[in-house]
Amino acid sequence: MHSLKKGVFAAALIAALAMFSGGAAKAQGELTLCWAAWDPANALRELSKDFTAESGVKMNFEFVPWTNFADRFLNELNSRGKLCDLMIGDSQWLGTAATEGHYVKLNDFFDKEGIDINSFLPATVYAYSTWPKGTPNYWVLPAMGDALGWIYRKDWFSKPELQAEFKQKNGYDLGVPKNWDQLMDIGKFFQGREIDGKKRYGLAIYTERGSEGITMGVTSAMYAWGMRYDDPKNPYHMEGFLNSADTVEALEFYKELYDCCTPPGHSDAYMVANLDAYKSGQVAVQMNWFAFMPGIYKDEDVGGEKSGFFVNPAQKVEASTLGGQGISVVSYSDKRDLALQYIKWFAQDEVQKKWWSLGGYSASRAVLDDPNFPNTAPFAADFLKAMNGVKDFWQEPAYADLLLSMQKRVHDYVVAGKGTAKEALDKLIKDWTETFEEEGLL
Amino acid sequence: MRGVAVALAADQGAGSGVAKVRHMSDRTIAWIFIAPTIVLLLAINIFPLLWTVYLSFTNFKANRPSRVVEWVGTRNYERILGSEDVWEYLQATAHFVGWTMFFQVVLGFGLAWLINRQFRGHAIWTTIIVLPMMLSPAVVGVFWTYLFQPQAGIFNYIVNFFIDAGDFTMIGDVDLAPWAIVLVDTWMWTPFVMLICLAGLRSIPDYIYEAAEVDRASQWRQFWTITLPMVMPFLMLAVLFRGIENFKMFDMVVELTSGGPGSTTELASINLKRAAFEKWKTGYSSAFAVILFVTVFGVANIYVKVLNKVKQR
Repeated sequence: MHSLKKGVFAAALIAALAMFSGGAAKAQGELTLCWAAWDPANALRELSKDFTAESGVKMNFEFVPWTNFADRFLNELNSRGKLCDLMIGDSQWLGTAATEGHYVKLNDFFDKEGIDINSFLPATVYAYSTWPKGTPNYWVLPAMGDALGWIYRKDWFSKPELQAEFKQKNGYDLGVPKNWDQLMDIGKFFQGREIDGKKRYGLAIYTERGSEGITMGVTSAMYAWGMRYDDPKNPYHMEGFLNSADTVEALEFYKELYDCCTPPGHSDAYMVANLDAYKSGQVAVQMNWFAFMPGIYKDEDVGGEKSGFFVNPAQKVEASTLGGQGISVVSYSDKRDLALQYIKWFAQDEVQKKWWSLGGYSASRAVLDDPNFPNTAPFAADFLKAMNGVKDFWQEPAYADLLLSMQKRVHDYVVAGKGTAKEALDKLIKDWTETFEEEGLL
Repeated sequence: MRGVAVALAADQGAGSGVAKVRHMSDRTIAWIFIAPTIVLLLAINIFPLLWTVYLSFTNFKANRPSRVVEWVGTRNYERILGSEDVWEYLQATAHFVGWTMFFQVVLGFGLAWLINRQFRGHAIWTTIIVLPMMLSPAVVGVFWTYLFQPQAGIFNYIVNFFIDAGDFTMIGDVDLAPWAIVLVDTWMWTPFVMLICLAGLRSIPDYIYEAAEVDRASQWRQFWTITLPMVMPFLMLAVLFRGIENFKMFDMVVELTSGGPGSTTELASINLKRAAFEKWKTGYSSAFAVILFVTVFGVANIYVKVLNKVKQR
């Protein structure tokens, strides 16, 4: 009986020790990374297995659909939540994240660990990492370079009868458009056309109202017309810039594209809606982020040689809307050191190379400056070209206010057909001026 | 009450505590019982309301606590009441509330009247009719977007089966989208109005109709002088419930149209949510919330007074 008591006591002791030591290891040995739920996130999950193998740190992932991404994680940051140790957030969040202390500043860490931020593409460092903009204050490591590009049905474009008809109609060959005028010609050509026994449409462009969709879409036209948000010599003064004749023309053009060349009901479409329209064979061309191109290339129905890719066409200048995100350490995390360890690992050249090979868009120069890089994927050369001419939306702490004002004004004009392009942009300047005044910037 | 308190005190034995309880008035004991509820009510209802009123006079932004909060006086109210956009949102809300009320009352009453005739199988039809209101509004919004889909949705197919409407899009068209949200809300909530009307119809005693029959009153006369007046309080109650609900409608419309195209279906509550939790203009949105609260509270009070008069008739 005595030995039985001893045995029970020993077993309880071992169990308690195992439980507490296990608990301690769990608390120290796990990280949670928060990002959007999409293909690159799955690639990152795969890549992170190497980190776990090397460090023993278990990686958890909190991936949220794009429709709830900003709402969910901005609320998490605003409420000083501890869910995320690492955050891959939008570039526009940077102003708020830096000024409100949501992210850990990385300068000292970079210096200590010998991480050279210049080993990443300058455009991505400027857009994703620095706040105030362009100053050597780094809050983010560029993780996923991205820009808005275009995907087209190469198999339809290659049909001899369509090529002949297009040339006869427009006087030049059916192919990758050199400018937005040609893009519209293509859209009109395919709109309502019957191909392989089915009715097809021209273009799937961004028209979404709720989050950022239509703003990302119209800015890809505005940037191509050379739009500037404000006076470079007099920041935040937008009169004559945001509503310049060229910008008005770009907005009118985008509306014309919407009216002439999109499928019926394409009035609230963003990434997924465009992918669906394209993959289901509704449209000849879709606007979408480069991040989706590896998935399209691998797709059973429209992948391989059936699809081609091109960079945002120039009109007056070559420019693309910036997408993508950087990775940050959340300052409310209890595991900041472990999270920094992950960033150190992720910044390595070899890891970045593997990241690209798995379908993530590395912004590392070790990957992008490789002479063979343009041959590594059918969209690699265009990605490189796009990233060298990216432009981003405001990154001010009040970015959400600015973004939603633009969503309203351009959706009112492009989709609802309310007023003129000039009126829409004038109203937008009024909204934004009010916001900048509230922020004390004007 | 006093007797109970004394008994409780006596059960616990003699002592100073017992003596204290024994000398408490009924009023004091009543306050002790209701105090937790009052504290709870103050904490979760009255305090937030007062705090919202306070915030409405500031430029506070909840996502930026480090920003200096300034007293801005009535600026938020002036901006809201002077904004063309806000009046458009209120017009969209009025259109939605007005037309949904109209259709739901007409159809709800009509269905209740039919069901009340207790034809064969009326019980199963009642169950089928009330199914839509058992669904989540967000789910209803999502699946109606599929039904309204111009190429694959069944709605366009049905319309084109009867009339040659061609390609049209219910939720992408400025003229049709406001009617699309009215249609979906009517589909979902007419059963609710029907159930309330049915309760009203079934509360009318048969002998009144029998007396009317004896007096050789026509069916039409019976309807206008017996059925409608006696159902009216129930009908007005249904309108009150649905009116308040639809004034704050959010989820179904967001899923269906996101407030678009443009701002055509951006109801006041959608704009309020955007201002409060997307733009994070807490002070401004507090002012907007106060304005909406006062409007609903005022209208509902007037309505309840009218309802009471109708009941007394």
